[in-house]
Amino acid sequence: MEKVVIIRYSEIHLKGKNRGYFERVFSQNIEKSLKGVKHETHRLSGRYLIEGFDEWETEVILDKLKRVFGIHSYSVALKTASDMQHIFAAAKEVCSISGSFKVVSHRADKSFPLNSMQISAEIGGRLLSENKNISVDVHNPQFTINIDVRENGTTLVFNEFFKGAGGMPVGTSGKGLLLISGGIDSPVAGHMIAKRGMSLECIHYHSYPYTNLQARDKVIELAGVLAKYTCGIKLHIVSVTHIQEEIHKKCNGEYMVTILRRFMMRIAEKIAARCGAQCLITGESLGQVASQTIEGMTSSNSVIDNLPVLRPLCGFDKDEIIERSRNIGAYEISIQPFEDCCTVFLPKHPVIKPSLKTVIEEEEKLDVQALLNEALSSVETVVL
Amino acid sequence: MIYLDNAATTKPDENCLKLAEKYLYTDFYNPSALYAEGYGVQLALKEARKNILKTIADCERFDLIFTSCGTEADNHALFCGGKRGNVITTEGEHSAVISCVNELKQRGIEVRFARLNGDGSVNFEHLLSLVDEKTSLVSVIHVGNETGAINDILKISAAIKSKNKYTLFHSDGVQAFGKIPFRMSENIDLYSVSAHKIGGIKGCGALFKRKNLVLKPHVYGGGQENGYRSGTENIFGIKNFEFAAHRKYSEIKENFDKVKKLSDTMWERLDKSLFVRISGENCSPYILTVGASGVRGETIMHDANDLGLIVGNGSACASNEKKRYSRTILACGVNESLADGILRLSFSFENTIEEVVAAAEILNKAVKYRKDMMA
Repeated sequence: MEKVVIIRYSEIHLKGKNRGYFERVFSQNIEKSLKGVKHETHRLSGRYLIEGFDEWETEVILDKLKRVFGIHSYSVALKTASDMQHIFAAAKEVCSISGSFKVVSHRADKSFPLNSMQISAEIGGRLLSENKNISVDVHNPQFTINIDVRENGTTLVFNEFFKGAGGMPVGTSGKGLLLISGGIDSPVAGHMIAKRGMSLECIHYHSYPYTNLQARDKVIELAGVLAKYTCGIKLHIVSVTHIQEEIHKKCNGEYMVTILRRFMMRIAEKIAARCGAQCLITGESLGQVASQTIEGMTSSNSVIDNLPVLRPLCGFDKDEIIERSRNIGAYEISIQPFEDCCTVFLPKHPVIKPSLKTVIEEEEKLDVQALLNEALSSVETVVL
Repeated sequence: MIYLDNAATTKPDENCLKLAEKYLYTDFYNPSALYAEGYGVQLALKEARKNILKTIADCERFDLIFTSCGTEADNHALFCGGKRGNVITTEGEHSAVISCVNELKQRGIEVRFARLNGDGSVNFEHLLSLVDEKTSLVSVIHVGNETGAINDILKISAAIKSKNKYTLFHSDGVQAFGKIPFRMSENIDLYSVSAHKIGGIKGCGALFKRKNLVLKPHVYGGGQENGYRSGTENIFGIKNFEFAAHRKYSEIKENFDKVKKLSDTMWERLDKSLFVRISGENCSPYILTVGASGVRGETIMHDANDLGLIVGNGSACASNEKKRYSRTILACGVNESLADGILRLSFSFENTIEEVVAAAEILNKAVKYRKDMMA
């Protein structure tokens, strides 16, 4: 009897002729996420089996699998020989000491002498006769014993189906560049898009010495959280200090954030071209702050030539974003009190509905190309 | 790199490290062990206790409890001394005390704050007016960590005891110990100190305790430190602390005078059109706090860092606007624009006049540049 982990995938089974491609990326991602942990992966029909690991590392494996997109559900099971004596021993092992239960059996191996109903009845009956503190309740059981008789002479016995991360395997939907800040929103946006199978690179803007090194480390840590979901990530860090200083000196202060955002988009577009990203992703939520109005988005979008800009959080309230941030393990990092570049030189009354014409007029006071080149020459890349 | 953030921590004294080294490699035994080697370490511990005690106190009248840091000593004093009625402290305390009284407040004890004078010292009259028959503890920082203001704790503790003899008096002496010539009086019940501010290593502090004072333990366990603070003693840290304290007290006057010259030179060299002095004239020479209005202390700190100078910035900068300014600096009556640009320059006897002159130049340059930029 050996402890194993059963992995069931989600949408991949809906795929047609390219199903093999999705499965290949999926299994590569599983391997990447379990790197460093002793294990073997075997493919069964419609599922994967992780075995050969040390029992004390079970939690480590589950924790890693929790973050692999494409997993619909997973279970910790006992793998045993397909005969009633061994199956009963495994069932006894996973059976609680008291409470109501039911046995659900599935027989893939049609040569097994008993059918699924008979297996359930037999195992359930024997468990009942050995333990007086348990009772059968097929409608609302407190625990379930699942018995899966496979074709290869082995049977899997387990209690629970844990919900996986869902979505599609990362890498099957192209690559995007996430504009990441130290705040709550952008990591959530990145997570949502990665969930649909997109691999990510991140870009972060800082304003040292107006911001500190802790703020930078915080972003590296946040990108690290995403990296656990995306099997690694590259973070590009760019200084926008001089751009902010120039805007502060030459432009109307109310347009600081609007113009800065346009610079950020321009820089991101260039970096995207360098790293082969097919879209930009931002954590903007419609109307959340002064710069995230539809006019603000129009203004920042207008500097982008071709790339689509994905804003998955547009329809979310802050509390919904916070909940997601907590769930992905980013919230505690995001709320550390280190200032982001956006808050330096912040005007008291930023323009809420910038007209594109005025923004362009303000921007003409700057040597946009020179500032852009300077920023692009300062890129530092961290591989996580 | 010129280091002027000695109030944050000092460079460990190499000699003291060497002297203490044998307690890492040779005499590493547990001082509570009964075999001869363990007993030998216990004797060394006893010696350290006596030698640190006698730097500022009478060994007959005071005890010393070794702790892991100054913060732990403050926690011990506040939580075990501030048990009932009301507790009084000042608006110029270190976070180690402020956080404790905030917690005491949560536990139902009334907390009263004494106002500060413009130089950061506590307003004596106001402090005294807060003391009543229900005051269980008063805690007043000896040398303010943000302003360098020296509180006359001998006078303050005497006045408090004459108003209520049952009130305990505690002082956080972390920025004073080894720096400001001073002797403990019996009016001071508890006094916290730390090793790494005087050339010792981090992870070692102590609480001076009046001998007859009944105090509950703060850390329970195997009964070390006479039961006041359980946990195997950090013998290396403690011996290192002993040697560092000995060195500091044998040179205290010369160091004081030398550092005073450094501090005076610094202030003399700083451009008065850019900087305002926050520290009073009679503050500890080891700390000089200045403000530059219209710029952020943290930005100047980074600029200076890039130019080869390390200084502290007085404020705990945070994205939360309310936390951006130091409460101590605001309590001195400094306006918010100036409070944003606070720099804490803190000296060691190891700094030289040349370093200070160069540092002043760097600061003048950095503030001027940023001020023009932000204009």
